[in-house]
Amino acid sequence: MMNIGRGAIIGCLCLAAAACTSPGPSRNWKSIERSLQTQFIAANDGDTIDLPEGHYMFTRSLTLDGKSNIVIRGKGMDETILSWLNQAEGAQGFQVSNCRNIVLQDFSVEDAKGDNLKVNDTRGITFRRIRSVWTGGPRTENGAYAIYPVLCKQVLMEECIAVGSSDAGIYVGQSDSVIIRNNTAYWNVAGIEAENSRWVEIYGNEAYDNTGGLLIFDLPGLTQYGHTTRAYNNRIHDNNHENFAQEGNIVASIPPGSGVMILATHDVQLYDNEIVDNQTVGVAVVSYELVAAMNEGVEEQPDAIGGAQTVNNRFREDSLYNPYPYEVSIFRNRISNTHWFPSMQNDIGKLLIWYSPFTPPSLLYDGIEDPKRPQRNICFAENGDVRFVNLDAGHDFESLSTDVTPFVCPPEKLNPR
Amino acid sequence: MSTRFGLLVLMTLLLGCGPGERKVIVEEEVPGDLMAELGPEKLSSYGFFDGPLRDLRPAKNVHFYAINSPLFSDYAFKARMIRLPEGARMRYHETETFEFPEGTILIKNFYYPADFGKPDGERRLMETRLLVLRDGEWQPLTYIWNEEQTEAILEPAGRTLPVSWTEGKGVVRTIDYSVPNLNQCRGCHLKGDRVMPIGPSARQLNVGSQLDRWNLEGLVDGMPDVPHIPRLANYEDSREPLENRARAWLEINCAHCHRPDGQGKTSGLHLMADVTSPLALGIGKPPVAAGKGSGGRKYSIVPGEPDESILVYRIESTDPGVMMPEMGRRLVHEEGVTLVREWIQSLK
Repeated sequence: MMNIGRGAIIGCLCLAAAACTSPGPSRNWKSIERSLQTQFIAANDGDTIDLPEGHYMFTRSLTLDGKSNIVIRGKGMDETILSWLNQAEGAQGFQVSNCRNIVLQDFSVEDAKGDNLKVNDTRGITFRRIRSVWTGGPRTENGAYAIYPVLCKQVLMEECIAVGSSDAGIYVGQSDSVIIRNNTAYWNVAGIEAENSRWVEIYGNEAYDNTGGLLIFDLPGLTQYGHTTRAYNNRIHDNNHENFAQEGNIVASIPPGSGVMILATHDVQLYDNEIVDNQTVGVAVVSYELVAAMNEGVEEQPDAIGGAQTVNNRFREDSLYNPYPYEVSIFRNRISNTHWFPSMQNDIGKLLIWYSPFTPPSLLYDGIEDPKRPQRNICFAENGDVRFVNLDAGHDFESLSTDVTPFVCPPEKLNPR
Repeated sequence: MSTRFGLLVLMTLLLGCGPGERKVIVEEEVPGDLMAELGPEKLSSYGFFDGPLRDLRPAKNVHFYAINSPLFSDYAFKARMIRLPEGARMRYHETETFEFPEGTILIKNFYYPADFGKPDGERRLMETRLLVLRDGEWQPLTYIWNEEQTEAILEPAGRTLPVSWTEGKGVVRTIDYSVPNLNQCRGCHLKGDRVMPIGPSARQLNVGSQLDRWNLEGLVDGMPDVPHIPRLANYEDSREPLENRARAWLEINCAHCHRPDGQGKTSGLHLMADVTSPLALGIGKPPVAAGKGSGGRKYSIVPGEPDESILVYRIESTDPGVMMPEMGRRLVHEEGVTLVREWIQSLK
C-alpha cells in the first residue's frame, strides 16, 4: 500500500508541475486575434501559416473554413499558447470546418467555453504535438472535448496532450480512417475515446488519472455507426479520477477506475496493452442496455456542455442501431490492479463490491443477450491469470459467473487483422 | 498516515494554481497586404453612393430594395441595395433567390436610429456587408463605419462594437453589437458548399409594387405577372394569418441552415415556409444531436405546448451553446418568440 501511495504522489507532483507551468501568472498576454483571423480568411491553397512564439488571448472562435492544403504551425506547445479564457462569443476555441488536408501542429489551446479544438466536415486532418487544456484542472464547467474531430475522414492525432475535458480528451466522433497514436491524456472524464467511427487504430498512447482511460463507443441517434477498431500497445493506468461529467451525459455513467470500456460496437481488437491499477475494472465490454438501465430516471440534461452526447433512452426507436457489442477480442493484455476495492462512486462499483469483494475484476462482460444474435464472438484470452466476471446483468445477476472458459478466443481470433 | 497527509497538501497546491487574473495586453499587428487580397480597403471606393457617404443615396445602377420578412439582427435596421453592372439584368426564379449577373454586388447597411421612435432621424451606421459575385462565386465582405460616419473600412476578422439607442418612453438600451468575421458570414450563407444570397427571392421581394417596378425598369428577365408570383408573409403585419407570419419568421431566421442543403441538414428539421411534412417541420420530432440544446424537452414542436417545445427553448436562449440561430444575435427577438409561441399554442 505504501508503494502505491508514493506512486500516486509522484504522479501528482508531475501533474502539479504541468498544471502550474502552463497557466502561470507571469504570462504576458497579447492579442493577435484580428491579424490571425484575417490570415486564416485570406489563406490560399498550399499556404503555411506560422503562429509566433508567445501567449495570445482570443475573444471569439478562431475559424478556418473551406480551405485546402494548409499547415498551421506554432513554435511548440510550450512556446505558442492560444487561450480563450476571455471568450465573449461562440462556443468553440479553434475551429476548422469544411476543409481538405489541414495540418495543425506545435501549439497549445486553452480554456474555451465549449470545445477547445473542433474540426468538422474535413477530409484529411492532422493534429501533431497539440496541447489542449483547461487550466483550472478537472471541473464540470470545462468544455466537453479537448481535441475533437467529428464528421471527418483521414484523421491523424499524434503526440498530443489533452487535459481537463468534462467529456473526452483525445476524441474522434463519426469519422472514418483514423489513427490515434502516441498521445497523452489525463484529468479528463474519458481520456481517449473513439465514438461512432470506423477503421480506427489506437496505439502507443498513455491515459492516466482520467475517470475512464480508453472508451470505444457506439451511440444511438447519430449520423453514422462505428465498427472496426484496433487498440494496442497503449498504457492505460491509474484512471481513478472522480467523474466530473455533466449529469445526463453518456460519460457521466463511467465508473471511476475504468481502464477500457467497449460499448455497443463491433469488430474491435484490444491487445498488447498495459492496463494497470484502474481500481474498478480493467476492461469492460457492455451493451447500451446496461447504460440505459443505469440511467433510468435520469432526464436528458438541459445544461450539458457543448455537443456532448446525452443519455438517449429512446435508443430502441433507432432501427439502425445495435445496442449489443459483437466480434470483440480482448487478448494478450497485461492487466493488474493493486487496489482492493472498486470505486463506490458509481452503481457498477457498488455492484462489484457486492459480488466481487477484495478483487475488482480485470475483465468484465455484462452478459446481456442480444435476442437477434445469439452468437456474438466476444472473447477474452491470454490476458494472464486475472479475474473475469460475467455479470449476467440481463437476469438480475442470477447466473453471475467468474468462469472465462466460455469466452476463450478461438486461435484465429488471436491475430491482429 | 503521513503519506495521505502529503497527498492532501499536494492536492491543495494544485487547486491553488488555477488560472486567476489575466491581464490582456492588446497589441494588434495590422494585417497589411492581406487586406488588399480580399477587397478594396474603403467602402467609398466602390462608388455606391452619391453625396455624403453616410446618406446612403444610391448612385447609378444601385437600387434600393425591401423584403417581406427580415432576419432578426439584434434590432438593427437595414438598408438593402443591389448594384447591377451597366445594362445587366437579374433572372427571375420562382422558389430560389434570383440569378444575378457576374459583377453584381448586394449591399446591406446596418444601423441603429438614435431614437427608435424616429427611425428616419439621426442614426449610427454600424457596418455595411457586401456579397460580391466574382468569377461565379459570391464573396462576403464587411466594412465597419468610423466614429465620424464618413467612411467604412474593410474588416475581415469581425469586431464587437457597443451601441445605444432610445426605445419608446425614453428607455436607453445598450448592447455589444457583433460584426461577423468573414467565416461567420459563410456559416449562414453556405448552401451545399457554395456561398449564396439568402434574402432576394421572389417571395421575399414581392413587396408592394417593387417587382412590377423592376420589371418596368427592365431589371429582371423571365418574370411572370405579379399575381403569379409567390409571396412570403410579413411577420410584423398582424393583419396576416398567424400561421403565415410564424412560418415566415422561421424561414428567414432558421431556414438558411434548416433546409435540405443547409448546414443544419443533419438535424432533419426543415423550416422553409413551404414545408408541409409535420415531422420535417419539427412537430413530434425528437432531437438528433442537440446535446444540451434540447433543454430536456422531447420534441422540436409539441402542438399546443410552447413550453414543451425545444424550438421555443432555443430561440429564447442567449447561451452560445443552446441558442438558435447560433450566431447573428446576442438578444432574444421578443416579438418573434411571442409570434412562434402563439402559433405553437394554436396547433392541435
